[in-house]
Amino acid sequence: MSTVARKLAPTLMVAALVALSACGGDTGNATDPGGQGGDSAKPESISYWSHWKEGENQQKVLAEAIAAWEEETGITVEAQWQGRTITQKLTPALNTNNVPDLVDSSFARLAPVLAETGQYASMQPAFEKTLEDDTSVADLIPKKYIEGSGLQIDGEPWMLPYTISSEAIWFNGAQHPELKESPPKTWDEFTALLDDLKAAGEVPLALDGDIGGYNAMWFVSGYVREHGPGSFAELVADESGESWKSDEVRAMAERVEALVQQDVFIDGYNASKFPAQQQEWATNKAALLLNGSWIPTETGTYAAEGFEFASFPMPTEQQDKVYTRTDFIGFAIPSKSDAVDWAADLAAFTLQKEYQEKFASEAKVLPVRDDIEVSPELAGVMSEIEKADAVYQQNDAVSHPGYIEKVFWPIHNELVLGNIGADEFINRMAEAQAQYWQDQS
Amino acid sequence: MPPLRRRRTRSSAPGSVIENQRRKFLVPFVGPAFLFYTLLFVLPAIGAVWVSLHKWAGSGPMEFVGLRNYERVINDSQFQAAFVNTLLLLFVAGTAIFVLAFALTMVLRTMWGRSAVRSIIFFPHLINALVFGVLAGFLFNPTGLVNTALGWFGVDNPPLWLAKENIFPLIMATVIFTTTGYYTTIIMAGVDRIPPYLYEDCALAGATPFQRLWHVVIPLTWDVFGTCAILWTLSSIKIFEIIWVFGGSSGAGIPPVESWTSAVYTYVTAFSGQSTPAFGAATASAVISLLLVSVLVVFLRRVFRREAIEF
Repeated sequence: MSTVARKLAPTLMVAALVALSACGGDTGNATDPGGQGGDSAKPESISYWSHWKEGENQQKVLAEAIAAWEEETGITVEAQWQGRTITQKLTPALNTNNVPDLVDSSFARLAPVLAETGQYASMQPAFEKTLEDDTSVADLIPKKYIEGSGLQIDGEPWMLPYTISSEAIWFNGAQHPELKESPPKTWDEFTALLDDLKAAGEVPLALDGDIGGYNAMWFVSGYVREHGPGSFAELVADESGESWKSDEVRAMAERVEALVQQDVFIDGYNASKFPAQQQEWATNKAALLLNGSWIPTETGTYAAEGFEFASFPMPTEQQDKVYTRTDFIGFAIPSKSDAVDWAADLAAFTLQKEYQEKFASEAKVLPVRDDIEVSPELAGVMSEIEKADAVYQQNDAVSHPGYIEKVFWPIHNELVLGNIGADEFINRMAEAQAQYWQDQS
Repeated sequence: MPPLRRRRTRSSAPGSVIENQRRKFLVPFVGPAFLFYTLLFVLPAIGAVWVSLHKWAGSGPMEFVGLRNYERVINDSQFQAAFVNTLLLLFVAGTAIFVLAFALTMVLRTMWGRSAVRSIIFFPHLINALVFGVLAGFLFNPTGLVNTALGWFGVDNPPLWLAKENIFPLIMATVIFTTTGYYTTIIMAGVDRIPPYLYEDCALAGATPFQRLWHVVIPLTWDVFGTCAILWTLSSIKIFEIIWVFGGSSGAGIPPVESWTSAVYTYVTAFSGQSTPAFGAATASAVISLLLVSVLVVFLRRVFRREAIEF
């Protein structure tokens, strides 16, 4: 190696090392949130990046809708079926001029990337479209989805959901017909049921304890179903962390601790790899499973013969109001799109009855319209959504940078996995949250 | 036996004909590579340092925060734990890999069918780390293959293999298993270069196996070790995918914080998909960990710098 090259080597080495895992980036653009990114002149094509991969049931329905829309408008849709990593590809793309005109994903994934960075165009044009019977899209979507759920910013919607998902406590209706008739409604009835199941020699609850999001349902949904949408987000927003020491939080933490002490979770839930425990549940080795409305399709392929998917909502002491988790999957338009109106038109097109029915019957998911009959497996979940006075999002829509995955999940996992009790959970959360907000300031 | 000659590792004296020829070819040979390197690595790296000085969600407005991200990351106990895991992989797993690789080399040197065995032990390195991540569940789940096998021997309370505190040791064991064959192959190639007459000389002089190892094998393969140590350092700090798939992230979550390395910490900070991306903090953690590792590389190069023996 020559002297020059040798002198350069350490510099290059350090630079290469940094580049290996660091990410370069542009400065991005501060844009006008809600600004119209383009005109309505008819383009030859529009681009669409999807949350789904080719072959998935939802993709098939969307592809069918897109084909019909292409025929109707004469515009080609350049669809890229990106899959779940779409937002990781979208983030860097937003700094370039190669931005898709339309994207879709879950609210939880799109909100941090588009809504909170102000990189969206208003979805109002989609809500104003009229579909069959001259009904506007805005009138087809239940009002409670739109109000207070984070779908609107400054009174303008930034996302148009086309399907929804929720969560419930799942069981095999063929084995436990009595639960279909009279599910437990209060927490006491629920813990009594767990005791009865144990006494009958059944494992009461399955849980893939390695998934922080599944563990979190016990606390977050328990808390929000008691205290209403926004209550967990409010708890998180307390910069002093002292709110964690409130009686309401203590009651919920003690509820989770009591479940662990009751020894109702399946053996090895604290040392297994997803989806081991939901497989155990689907093969009748545990009676109940708290999980999402995707469970019938996700576990259907390996469920025991004759397994009848049925569910009841998580019991709550709140008997006056019904608060139900309702996550949205839907479309959003990046502000750099130069075909905002057409992208909105395509988004609205998927809310036609024909496609909404196919989402329900073929993809076996919950359509966003409430005038569609859902599959029998999801009827229980849908009924709880219909009954809801208000709906809430996964993690109560908390998306502060790193909070859920670095602060809440690690400590909450310890509680659910039985490594700490309610007192330590509360103290650690209060301390970690105060530190988190101090770091963010 | 011809005497071993030592040669200078540095190039020949300045002003020599060879050196002049080399200089002439420096620009045409190094230039294009340097240009691409600058464009594809150096500039993005400088960009990353720039991003690390901001609060930025990956798109949208950037807010200049100076060294605040660095302060935050350095004081973050999760980053510290993740960096300790990176060092555990580098030093503990690295030591195990080299001790095993060297031991295997010694055993295989005179073994019948050694090229077949060499291929077999190299094989795990060819398999994508993701496969081992998926296999982890198959083997170590509570009702997995390992516990079933232990059950046959009457073990009723097997360890909680996949408990979050046990995942990282399992990952280290898997990394050692998959990587040892690779370094064994390289070290074996180095040992194979040693002329057989040196072993004969040892036998005639009555040297013990340890003396043979200490006075012949190690000195003559020292440069190979040095190269392997640098290779391992660079590859160990990038270990990511096996951790990502080993626990909790088969499409439904992220690995437990106990098994994060600094690379995973960086990724989660930027791309967890659960919350607003923090690109400033993510790039700061990448820059900090890689600067620290760069210091280690320089240190290792010094440790392994010896005059190569020509034979």
